[in-house]
Amino acid sequence: MRKKVLFVTMALFAAALLSGCAGGPVRGLTWPGLAADDNAAYLADGPYVFAINVKDGKELWRYPTQSNNDFVFYSTPVVTPDGLVIVGSSGKNHSLIALNPTDVTQNANNTKSPAAAWTFNEAKDQWVAPPLVVDDKLFAVNSDGYLYVLDLQDGQSTKKAVKAIRIGGRLWAKPTTDGERVFLTSLDHSVIAVDIETYEVLWNDEIEGAVAGSAVLGPDGMLYVGSFASQLDKIDPASRKREPALEVENWIWSTPSLDGDTLYFADLNGNVYSFNTSTGKLNWPPIKPDGPITASPLIQNDHILIATESGSLFAIDRDGNVLWNQEVGGKIYTTPVASGDLVLVAPLETEFYLAALDQNGRQVWTFTPEN
Amino acid sequence: MWDLFVSLFVNVLIWIYDVIGQNFAIAIILFTILIRIVTWPLNAQQMKGAAAMQELQNDKEWQAIQKKYAKDREKLAQEQMRIYRERKISPFSSCLPTLIQFPIIIALYQSITRALGSTPLDLLKLSRSLYDFLNVSDLIPLNSKFLWMDLGRPESIAIFGFAFPTLALIVAITTYVQAKLTMPASPNPNDQSAAMSKMMSIYMPLLLGYFALNFASGLSIYFITSNILGIIQYAMQGKANWRSLLPGGQKK
Repeated sequence: MRKKVLFVTMALFAAALLSGCAGGPVRGLTWPGLAADDNAAYLADGPYVFAINVKDGKELWRYPTQSNNDFVFYSTPVVTPDGLVIVGSSGKNHSLIALNPTDVTQNANNTKSPAAAWTFNEAKDQWVAPPLVVDDKLFAVNSDGYLYVLDLQDGQSTKKAVKAIRIGGRLWAKPTTDGERVFLTSLDHSVIAVDIETYEVLWNDEIEGAVAGSAVLGPDGMLYVGSFASQLDKIDPASRKREPALEVENWIWSTPSLDGDTLYFADLNGNVYSFNTSTGKLNWPPIKPDGPITASPLIQNDHILIATESGSLFAIDRDGNVLWNQEVGGKIYTTPVASGDLVLVAPLETEFYLAALDQNGRQVWTFTPEN
Repeated sequence: MWDLFVSLFVNVLIWIYDVIGQNFAIAIILFTILIRIVTWPLNAQQMKGAAAMQELQNDKEWQAIQKKYAKDREKLAQEQMRIYRERKISPFSSCLPTLIQFPIIIALYQSITRALGSTPLDLLKLSRSLYDFLNVSDLIPLNSKFLWMDLGRPESIAIFGFAFPTLALIVAITTYVQAKLTMPASPNPNDQSAAMSKMMSIYMPLLLGYFALNFASGLSIYFITSNILGIIQYAMQGKANWRSLLPGGQKK
């Protein structure tokens, strides 16, 4: 009898532990996606996408009204010129959804939710990367290794004969474009160029490490790509000539941020680099705020903001001097975004989901969903 | 402490993955064999303990004691402990390997999901789990595909629009077969040990089948390999009770 009780207890314990690890529509599976316009912040955080009023931090709406296994959100939302909010889900249906914030209804429990203008359900894996909007087209890459080119109006494939373009590997980064080509990066150690009109893969070149961030088109016409090989690569998109531009201490996770001819980026050891694309050299020796960095630096008029895993926000000037730092709390992995004069930060492992800070790092409001 | 344990599993898995040519399913199979080798003494102890308990259930002296003290549970317990002491039987030795399985299953599940890094946070955790001396960061991300499966996700095959859970079924069947083969035949209808084994042979396949249905298919590969190895181990020792697979085969 004692053995029976022991066995059942252990089985239930194992089931509980495994269930806890397996997820479902819960918060904290990974870090949230965050975007904003002048009026609202859009936070893709586990079971819901929230729209939050940037003036007072109050919830405007959420999608869906009730959490369910169909939806798990952590891809960064994209706001189109028409005002649609497009966000990918890692839930059961692997949906890419266009939400229409002008068509919000209120349900019985007073939760407001927008209508989906369209839903694209043909991807086979989770959406991590936000899509790229080019005119009336959407270039969306999925973890299933495909590039989907969709009509922005209805979410249908823009070419009936071409449903999806096979790229390979897991595609986690937003595509980049120079107007003629769309550049993709893959965790499968590759950088890819696709013709923006024909969707033909022009080239697919291997690099040393996995790439989780986007390629950045520099003012010199070169592509800059940070990778898990702990280096920044420089690629000529015309000749496909590739050379290491800079070796760093650890993996480069995020997309470098371009400011004039300078790229600001960080590595997982917590070093912040300021790389001059004109000279091919660092503007100043790397600085090390207070922890590993996965978020891209946020370029502001007066300073550059760096969010660290330790839960701090650092403002540095363009000479690498720390102007101020503010402890936000939790762990920050998501790139902060600006909305008007506010800076929005979405940490993990805190009671609140989103914090708004002013230009001096003072907290203006925090957002915690009511239920 | 727990994280160090999971990290160890992650690094061993990735090391095997690297050595054998980057096939994660084969890495899990070889890792399972390694686990079985490491836990071999425990398995041997389990078989010895189970056999001793079985002998005791059929022992005339013990049956007489059970009858004599049927209404005095305290005295019966004292006599039971005396017999355990005299015959050097450890009542928990037969279930210890089963219990050891659970932390291994949990650690393996966590190491599979971490090694495959299917979300950015999992991949970030993986970057911190890797031992520097292995120098395997250029292998990241691991190839999670094996045959029709994504090893980081639950498995199913679409048949006529219905998602058929092949691996979960194989897990349940192999677990049942292993449990039945190792179930000792008992002529004693009051044999609690036999009743317990019978219960385990029903609940364990259901439990592991449930795990296989809902969690990463890499875990199912572990269950199936472990079950097959268990069956082979019993068969090689000549202890497999093949008759128990047949209806009514349990009776002697």
